[in-house]
Amino acid sequence: MDPTDPPAPKSLLARLKARFNKPKSDTTRSRLRRVLIIEERLSKWLPYIKFLLFTVGFLWVLALPLAELGKETYIDENALSPGHIRPQFAWADVHSADRWLDQLEKLRDSNATSEKRAEFISDEFRKLGLLGATQKYTLTLVNETRSGVNAYAVSPSPRISGTEAMVISASWIGRKGEGNGDLNLRGVAILLALAKYLKGSSSWAKDLVFVVSDGYLDGMQAWLNAYHGTEQKNLKVESLPHPSGVIWNALSIDYACHSFSHLGIFHEGVNGRLPNQDLINSFERLSRWTGGVPVVMYDHLGSQLEPPVYPSWIPKFIRQNKRFESYWQHGRNTVRHIGYQARGRPSGIHGLFHRHRIDAFTMYAICAQGPHGFYAMGRVVEATLTAMNNLLERLHASFFFYLLTGPYTFLKISSYLPSPVLISVAMMIQGLTTWSQAGWVLDVSGKTAITGPAASKWITRRRDVLPVAMTMFFTHVWGLALFAIVSTSWYIKNIQQAVSLPVFVLFASLPLSILAITRKQSPGEAPVGLVLKALNVCFASPIISITSVLNFSLALSFAMLLGIPLSISAWSRRLPVRIASYSIYALLALGWVLFLPEETKTALWHWEIASAWFAPVVCVVYAPLVLQAGIATLLTR
Amino acid sequence: MLLFPFLHLLALLFVPLTAFAAGHGFAPGQEEKVKRFFNKNGGSTSKHTNNWAVLVCTSRYWFNYRHMSNALGMYRTVKRLGIPDSNIILMLADDVSCNARNKFPGSVFANPDRALDLYGENIEVDYRGYEVTVENFIRVLTGRMDPSVPRSKRLLTDEHSNVFVFMTGHGGNEFLKFQDNEEISAHDLADAFEQMYQKKRYNELFFMTDTCQAVTLHSKIYSPNILAVGSAQLGQNSYSHSNDDDIGVAVIDGFTHHTLQFMEGVNKTSQHSMKDFFESMDPEKIKSNPGVRSDLFGRPLEDALITDFFGGVAQVEVVERVGGEYDEEVEVVEKKARKETPGVSAREVEVVDDHGSDGWKKVRMWGVVGVLVSLCCWSTL
Repeated sequence: MDPTDPPAPKSLLARLKARFNKPKSDTTRSRLRRVLIIEERLSKWLPYIKFLLFTVGFLWVLALPLAELGKETYIDENALSPGHIRPQFAWADVHSADRWLDQLEKLRDSNATSEKRAEFISDEFRKLGLLGATQKYTLTLVNETRSGVNAYAVSPSPRISGTEAMVISASWIGRKGEGNGDLNLRGVAILLALAKYLKGSSSWAKDLVFVVSDGYLDGMQAWLNAYHGTEQKNLKVESLPHPSGVIWNALSIDYACHSFSHLGIFHEGVNGRLPNQDLINSFERLSRWTGGVPVVMYDHLGSQLEPPVYPSWIPKFIRQNKRFESYWQHGRNTVRHIGYQARGRPSGIHGLFHRHRIDAFTMYAICAQGPHGFYAMGRVVEATLTAMNNLLERLHASFFFYLLTGPYTFLKISSYLPSPVLISVAMMIQGLTTWSQAGWVLDVSGKTAITGPAASKWITRRRDVLPVAMTMFFTHVWGLALFAIVSTSWYIKNIQQAVSLPVFVLFASLPLSILAITRKQSPGEAPVGLVLKALNVCFASPIISITSVLNFSLALSFAMLLGIPLSISAWSRRLPVRIASYSIYALLALGWVLFLPEETKTALWHWEIASAWFAPVVCVVYAPLVLQAGIATLLTR
Repeated sequence: MLLFPFLHLLALLFVPLTAFAAGHGFAPGQEEKVKRFFNKNGGSTSKHTNNWAVLVCTSRYWFNYRHMSNALGMYRTVKRLGIPDSNIILMLADDVSCNARNKFPGSVFANPDRALDLYGENIEVDYRGYEVTVENFIRVLTGRMDPSVPRSKRLLTDEHSNVFVFMTGHGGNEFLKFQDNEEISAHDLADAFEQMYQKKRYNELFFMTDTCQAVTLHSKIYSPNILAVGSAQLGQNSYSHSNDDDIGVAVIDGFTHHTLQFMEGVNKTSQHSMKDFFESMDPEKIKSNPGVRSDLFGRPLEDALITDFFGGVAQVEVVERVGGEYDEEVEVVEKKARKETPGVSAREVEVVDDHGSDGWKKVRMWGVVGVLVSLCCWSTL
């Protein structure tokens, strides 16, 4: 072969061979080097990554109401077939509702007792040929005892065994003002008229159960407990004489005023449970197209009817932007939703059904001069019940995790979940950074001008986890004690008075006793404060991400409240700064004891009646986490 | 006295002559005459002698009411045009007429005017509810049945049968869903039709489907003499036609509705061709583009009458008359064949065997023997 020839094929092969047959030690070394480089770059960029995650997470929260993030609602379940029926609810039925309303108003004016009311209603049910009955219950709360009587009736499905049932309910007290408002007389009247009318149809494939519950939430809780045989210690209930099938769906009617212009959707249940979205979507479509009644979220009327009041700090050019209007409206709905869901508070009596795996919502008639009344309400309820009647299995096709930003726009879980999760990831990075900071320190003592940075070396420190873990455990036990005190009748009775300040001071100051028992640390040990911060942040982060799939709003609230404060807790050289920062943490953890007595009371009430977890979670999870961050700022280095 | 034996001889002489005449069949012009008689109103070029229909609704549940009424609408049409219940296999996956949600119990209406109750009179459902499975459907087509299955559930066709297969339900690209738990694929269908062809279970077959992406279902068929039409192209949905506000569901699909509408103008003696039928389909009205597949079909579409598939118009097949011994022998062969290949229909054997010339020889032989014997008898008298 001519040596001047281009050594194309052979040398290429040789090169390839060389590439694949490198000595093994070389690969390992280069891999190690690569890993080291990546690690170095990552650790250099880590603060920026953390900052980016925090920023994106918080901006995402602000972006939730954006129309671009949302999607239009749609009906996923074929079987529902909404809107295929022409409602037959007619003016004669409106007339009967009017007559019942007259009698109910007489009962109200005569201050009739619960027994008398329930007796009247169940009698009317029986007159219609339904299986009507009453149910007494007594609810014992820490500082009061409520008793009432429910009335209900079962209308068995005419042509099929009633293995499934639908519930149409109306509470005696409406949900206006969350149960402190007007009587839901028209709701009860239309329920009676519907009972009469719906019984006349032979095409119900499920039993119809009509429930007029006493009180606001208490009556329905008692009825549901008796229906499902659920034991609740503080609730004594009479058993129900007329059984029916498994309840798949329920709707509750809330209609207090003379007329209404819109129907509002209330759908949040206890502990943030939501009904399947198909139910709400079919109601929305049916109300809008079959009943001719526009639907809104909650009692938030659209901007045409209710000119939005923007805060003055929003710049004018933003306020005048057309898209801002929808952003504002969606934002209002989102905030209201988060308010109910994060606090685990049901937004109506429907919220009590969700626990029993029943999809339920409340249709709330928004008071207006008109144009709608019994006629429209009857037709919408009939159409919605027909859609439920078409179901062959429980609602399952559509979403259970969603955020309704408007009556026909929603966010999928993938569109809203990242916000708390990103913040929680940023916290985890912060926690792990702090953990390695506690364990490693750069020794610069041997550094000279000549040798330069090469002479400085990392030395390890011993991280004492046990005392830190004990401290964390202690604060959570302390939180449990706080909950025990707060839920006593003594505390609730005196909540408005001077009792809250001593409780605050006691619970905020006692954790300081830890400082007294901490010993002086040797130089070879990691600072306790730093280890505490690391574990605190690393503990809070998974709490947020795990909660985010159970109760998104609660996770989001935790992320907003804990994210930054826990990550920036730092020890200061000056004592006043340390004390000031601890006080801020104490306020963040326990400020509600001082400033939100009503809120506390309501949360405790919901805990007692419906086991809403919010009150214990705040006392046992949230407050201790913030207190731990406060203690971390105080602990000496 | 000689008169009687003479007459006897004369009669005996006629025996071979009549046998000869029988062997040759009718006079040359007779077959033509018969054909002309039956075809005097135009007539069909089809050679079939009997009609069968397999009508399948593969979906259950109340909200699929329309699929039940699609199948029942076809059932009514083929019955009206003359296919008897004994020749119709009706498969309905659900019984909407008795559904508790049905405001009109015992009735199925395919139109909101509710003028015509499709469930009104004399409905014979052969396969119902959970019996409607892919397996049963293929068994019906191919005839591979358990001996215990009654005749009413079998498709007893032969090579002279024209078969109309109608399927409706929820489908997709090359599949049709049965009952929410299984599917039949276009390949399964094509293979089933091929088995039918090989076992001589049809003369011509018309396959009609009303489902989303229906044309994909007949895209894999490869057996001859099959004509197919589907309601929608690949990627197209097949939409429902009308909704009844009282029943509360869609009551019929667009394609079937317009097909039935066209069929209402057809009677037993109509001369409409399949071409007319396909040309009547208006994609605007149906809201999808129906697809026809005629490449496997042996006849021009304008010669194929609608009644060749939808009607029960009788055709006469002119066959050679054969002697008793021939029949006996065929029977023996049939029995043998059944023993050897239990899955194969005996009819195949009948067709394959060609003993006609042997039979004629024997007849002639016996004729000669008869003459000789009679001559002997006469001479001894």
